[in-house]
Amino acid sequence: MAEPRDGRAIEGEVLAGLRRPGWRYFAGLAVSGLLALMLFALWGRMIWKGIGLTGKNNPVGWAMLITNFVFWVGIAHSGTLISAVLFLFRARFRTAFNRSAEAMTVIAILVASLFPLIHLGRVQVFYFLLPYPSERLIWPNFRSPLPWDVFAINTYLIVSLVFFYVGLIPDLAIARRHLPGLRGRIYGLLSLGWQGTGEQWRHYSRLYLFLAAFATPLVASVHSIVSWDFAVSIVPGWHTTIFAPYFVAGAILSGTAMVLTLSIPMRRWLGLERLIQIDHYEGIAKILLFTSLIVSYTYLVEHGLALYGDNPFERDQYLYRATGDYRVLFAIMVVCNSILPLTLFFRRMRRSLGWLFALGLLVNVGMWVERFVIIVSSLSHDYDPYAWGTYTLSWTELGITAGSFGLFFLLFLLVSRLLPVVAITETKQGLAERAVSGQEQAS
Amino acid sequence: MSRVVLEGREEFLAKLRELVDAGLPRHAITVQMPYEVPEVDALLGHSPDRIRFFALIGALTGFGSGLALTIYSVVSFPIIVGGKPIISLPPFLLIGYLLTILFGSLGSFLGFLLMARMPSPSGLADDGEFPDRFVISVRDEEGP
Repeated sequence: MAEPRDGRAIEGEVLAGLRRPGWRYFAGLAVSGLLALMLFALWGRMIWKGIGLTGKNNPVGWAMLITNFVFWVGIAHSGTLISAVLFLFRARFRTAFNRSAEAMTVIAILVASLFPLIHLGRVQVFYFLLPYPSERLIWPNFRSPLPWDVFAINTYLIVSLVFFYVGLIPDLAIARRHLPGLRGRIYGLLSLGWQGTGEQWRHYSRLYLFLAAFATPLVASVHSIVSWDFAVSIVPGWHTTIFAPYFVAGAILSGTAMVLTLSIPMRRWLGLERLIQIDHYEGIAKILLFTSLIVSYTYLVEHGLALYGDNPFERDQYLYRATGDYRVLFAIMVVCNSILPLTLFFRRMRRSLGWLFALGLLVNVGMWVERFVIIVSSLSHDYDPYAWGTYTLSWTELGITAGSFGLFFLLFLLVSRLLPVVAITETKQGLAERAVSGQEQAS
Repeated sequence: MSRVVLEGREEFLAKLRELVDAGLPRHAITVQMPYEVPEVDALLGHSPDRIRFFALIGALTGFGSGLALTIYSVVSFPIIVGGKPIISLPPFLLIGYLLTILFGSLGSFLGFLLMARMPSPSGLADDGEFPDRFVISVRDEEGP
């Protein structure tokens, strides 16, 4: 399908998505809204009845809720990768996805940040995590990775939110022009009176560059810090230096898969086929394949460290992970994250939207399971056989997990209805630049 | 004030070049564009970019406040944990690093708002309709 021919066509096609949602949109909204409601109902019940409603036990004190936290923080990562890192590398295909990926980042961090609170049990004392001058004069222990996490997640949330909002400013001014009434006035206020003058554009492009430069190290550091929640401990299976790059690569893999899961139906439902083309998906598929290869490499390194590292506890833990109580999950993780993405070596598979959508779902299943296997199997089987034990998830945890997906999709559907989901001005600029380079080549 | 509305990027740049070559003072020319055209800066010249100073000041403030918070917290209530030094720089640098990014980003955003004069009440009030067009406005130099 051909690209829109000019800027006005781009504006029209993107903003049409803000006007006419079909029945599928409302069906999706209803299902995800009900799931989100279930999350809050179950969480409320857990606050009322107590943390015993989860399957957490001794020794497995971190389980499904922390798995969800790590998973959702990971999902956030590819948004920053697509918007910041690919911007610095001048990858053209990013303009088709950057807005939805940035929205995904902000929403995923919001969902992720619920889980440490849910996991706490006594959520009313969550402020103990924050550094504030309490009357007891005791501050958080800044040598512990948990306060690092508080800083990392909050920094990531605020920087991602600013990046998302800054990217929206020129597009909000366009939306203001297209949409009449109160809605248009709200877009006008949010666009801060943007007029697109030469001075505004010059400062805007500098700001965007600086934000991309500040956000890029966050891609590597936030999930590294999340991985140190585990790696700084002495639990076998967790205490390893490979964890930071392992988690970062896994995060980008899962986030890229989520971009596919979200954008393929969104493209169809909002009629964005001319703006998000198959070539763009091929670019995303290549990132997915590349990060899958890195993840597979870290699986192999983990294997090597455990079996050749001369540490009996590490070796035993690795064998337990691969062949013990959670072996089925281990196999699912390897198949979904390492084997199935290899199909993307074939161009036909990279350009098949049906397969990319299915693969996105499967990789996300694999990445969720990977986090579960890492967290639960290590605690189940550490040093002392007397302390070993297995974990069985509870219905409450299962419901909260399903509810978190509901909340994520609910917020994404609302954003896709309320804000332009494709970056209008960047798409226009790309179109103009391609036209200029085409003319130069022709002459 | 005279105003020219143009359809395409090349047409706009040609007209702008023509005005500059005709000897119009650059400060009298303002442009509105549907997207950024980097050539405009070279044609019209520009004041030095100051957002980088906001970014730098924000980043340094963040780094300094990260270290100040962590060091103050352990010095004001010194507890030796695991035999580690009271001022344990590696973890404290991590907090400094995160606050460098946070304050640097917020400083850049603040700098943008100040430099681009936003929020702009005139921009909010302006209903001038130039959808996807380039506009060149020339201020009349001969005042009353």
